[in-house]
Amino acid sequence: MSTSTKAVRSPRSRGGRAAHPFLRYALRRVLTSLLLVVGVTLVTFVLTNLVPGDPVAAALGQRAAEDPAIVAQFRATYGLDQPLVVQYFTYLGNLLQGDLGVSTTTHNPVVDDLAKALPATLEIALGAIVLSVIIGVVLGTIAAYRRGKASDHVLRVVSLAGLSVPTFWLALVLYYVFYFQLHIAPGSGRLSSDFTTPPTVTGLYTVDALLAGQLDTFLDAASHLFLPVLVLTLYTVGLLTRFVRTAVLEILDQDYVRAARAKGLPTRTVIFSYVLRGASIPILTVVGLAFGSLLSGTVLVEAIFAWPGIGSYAYQAASHLDLPGIMGVGLLIGVMYLLVNLIVDLLYGVLDPRVRLAS
Amino acid sequence: MVFRTTRTTRSTPTRVAIAAAAVSLTLLVAGCSSGRTDTADSGTQTLTINKAFDLKTADPGRMYEPTGQLVDKALYETLLTFEGGDVSKVVDGLASLEQSDDAKTFTLTLTGEHTFSDGTAMTADDVVFSLQRVIGLKGNPSFLLDGVTVTKQDDKTVVLTTETPTPALPAILANPALGILNSKVVKENGGTTDETDTAEKFLNTTSAGSGPYVLDTLDLASQVVLTANENYDGDAPGYGRVVIQNVEGATQKINVEGGSADVALDLSGTQAEALGDSVEVTSDPSANVIFLLLNQNPSVSAITSNPDFVKAVKEAIDYDDLVSIAGTGTAQASGVVPSMLLGALPESGALTQDLDAAKADLAKSGYAGESVTLNFPSDISLNGIDFPTIAQRIQSQLKDAGITVELAPAPVATELDAYRNGTETMGLWYWGPDYPDPSDYLVFTPGNVVGLRSGWAEGANPAISTLADAAAAGGSDEERQSRFEELQTALNADGPFIPLLQPGNNIAAAKDVTGVVYNAVWTIDIAALAAK
Repeated sequence: MSTSTKAVRSPRSRGGRAAHPFLRYALRRVLTSLLLVVGVTLVTFVLTNLVPGDPVAAALGQRAAEDPAIVAQFRATYGLDQPLVVQYFTYLGNLLQGDLGVSTTTHNPVVDDLAKALPATLEIALGAIVLSVIIGVVLGTIAAYRRGKASDHVLRVVSLAGLSVPTFWLALVLYYVFYFQLHIAPGSGRLSSDFTTPPTVTGLYTVDALLAGQLDTFLDAASHLFLPVLVLTLYTVGLLTRFVRTAVLEILDQDYVRAARAKGLPTRTVIFSYVLRGASIPILTVVGLAFGSLLSGTVLVEAIFAWPGIGSYAYQAASHLDLPGIMGVGLLIGVMYLLVNLIVDLLYGVLDPRVRLAS
Repeated sequence: MVFRTTRTTRSTPTRVAIAAAAVSLTLLVAGCSSGRTDTADSGTQTLTINKAFDLKTADPGRMYEPTGQLVDKALYETLLTFEGGDVSKVVDGLASLEQSDDAKTFTLTLTGEHTFSDGTAMTADDVVFSLQRVIGLKGNPSFLLDGVTVTKQDDKTVVLTTETPTPALPAILANPALGILNSKVVKENGGTTDETDTAEKFLNTTSAGSGPYVLDTLDLASQVVLTANENYDGDAPGYGRVVIQNVEGATQKINVEGGSADVALDLSGTQAEALGDSVEVTSDPSANVIFLLLNQNPSVSAITSNPDFVKAVKEAIDYDDLVSIAGTGTAQASGVVPSMLLGALPESGALTQDLDAAKADLAKSGYAGESVTLNFPSDISLNGIDFPTIAQRIQSQLKDAGITVELAPAPVATELDAYRNGTETMGLWYWGPDYPDPSDYLVFTPGNVVGLRSGWAEGANPAISTLADAAAAGGSDEERQSRFEELQTALNADGPFIPLLQPGNNIAAAKDVTGVVYNAVWTIDIAALAAK
């Protein structure tokens, strides 16, 4: 996460009027992000192609891989017969037209595959981040206010446990307990097998089911979200609680907060108007990071819950040495990170005028 | 003057949101439709199968993965087929077979009036198109019909000819990759018999076959949905709708026990042993054979190319121990041909451990304790058995005999190169049959695919090559059985391969599901499943 630390110049528009500082700040951040996207394409391309191993051997069956004609056809189809530099510029050129290539595993355009997989991941990642922020901010603030007391120690242990427990293990245990023993949660997947997928509008089953007026499908899809969201939330809450506690403690030591408390302002006012406002930038930073890692870190959770998101797609692409698929996922996750960072940085500008004016 | 309402009253935006939500919910409940498919009618009852996907396509001409075989078996019929789990004997499918004595001419006559799912009658033209398309596409299954010429004799008869004897062809024709397509529909959707074919996309959304099911939806990453084919000639399948979900092993176990899946196809021996009473488990040795190879190319390894060293390794391995760690259903592989195929070596012909003999042979070989590298794929799990587990056990068994093994695991995608290029000193791999006929195992002879991977060039062992030529020539089932037995006995004695295991194939099904039979080609015949 980067906060611009250099003073922003004040170029004047042709008419001589200075552009709004926030506009200049935003423009600068957007341009930086675009440059970084090009960097991401280069890194993913180079790393993917540095992997030892022949994608042809991984994609073709044993017998087909023995046939030079089939191998030559495969290489030509996927452009693997070209020098790497040519492949990279072809990739960049195609990228500008929204073409990420064709997956050697699914034979579909990677864009189509990702468009199908991303909503599945977003559905659990968004649910997890919203819950995590609410719970993490509340618990972190409580822990900071009760510094050194029993509740602080308990919360610290709980958040450490949330961070330390392997997510795949947690996922399996929770699945066993909630589905198999308590029958509270449904089986794996996004929808029970006796339901048909709602007509695709957003790709989020809960939203699409509501749009189609299928209440039973909505309830079923929502119930399937419960466990994966819970697992991801438990992990992220640990991170956020610890971070919010630290951020709030720092703010609590500030003179203006002491003054507010000394004036006898109600605790709620102090918390919301002074403490959390002051801690909002560091909290926002870690929320952005947590969301980014949620998007890229759902592989094991998706595997346990048979959730067909980008984590599952990334795993499948990597295990089949599907170069266009791997590059597609790498680029998508990179762009999502950059986008989240951009939004967070722009929010800095909104929350704290010092950031956009000069720092 | 105070214009604001009291703090206990909800603010306007909150009230608006609550009102909107209430209205939406009311409208929704009043006008909602159902997304559920099951009804009390057993004809539309849903069967849920859990399978760890390796699915790439539903197009028979391009499909060659186990999940594809499972799916396409339900969608497409083949000219010949197998009954239940017996893959040693080919029976009539869409056609009956007449075969010349030299195994070079195969005449196939359609056995009846077959219709495709759109009601069109099947003719010899559809058969010719389907087989020629597999050959011309140059896809993964094209090799099945290498050197085969397909010609139409009349509207009901097709003749396949080969230049060399091909006794395996009947077994090959039973493969779902050679399912018969509705040529008219496929051609209308980009189908051709060469590389210009673009029908895959269509065949991934709509099936064009005559099988008991039709394709409803296919999502390569998550699930495949099949519905009963109303125009199917045979008995209607037991379930009106089948959902095959992509689920990994540990979750499959919980799902089938918990009831959200009716059938789980990828349970390890250990998982199968731990299942409760609510499920029935079918355990059989699978057709996969895990083997060890020792490179015979002296420039790759002077140690492993020494015949006495190879013999010592064969005698040092504790085969019973390997079977015991692999769990339910697993059997020792007697030879390279798995037990359920014609030509398999009886259990009495399998290799056995003899540590004293191993030590003696090791001394003869001149081995002085040098470290030998064992390469294996670290991320492969075959029927629930992890390769690293087997490799570690072999390392410790060979240590007992005085052989030092260094383990060199690598992801399969990268290790495949070394294996296929024949540069591994020792390798731990497996072979699954391309088709259930022993001739598929001639690859384990000098100068052939797997032979070359172990540095065993043409002419390296003339005696074994002679036995291989005799086995390849065809003949009656009895003749072929004895020739392949002889070949494998010689391979076990002098070859660079050590057949280790046929890992167990464990299928768990809810107690009210009948008809679960393991088949080495398509795992299970979905259409044979029914509710009690």
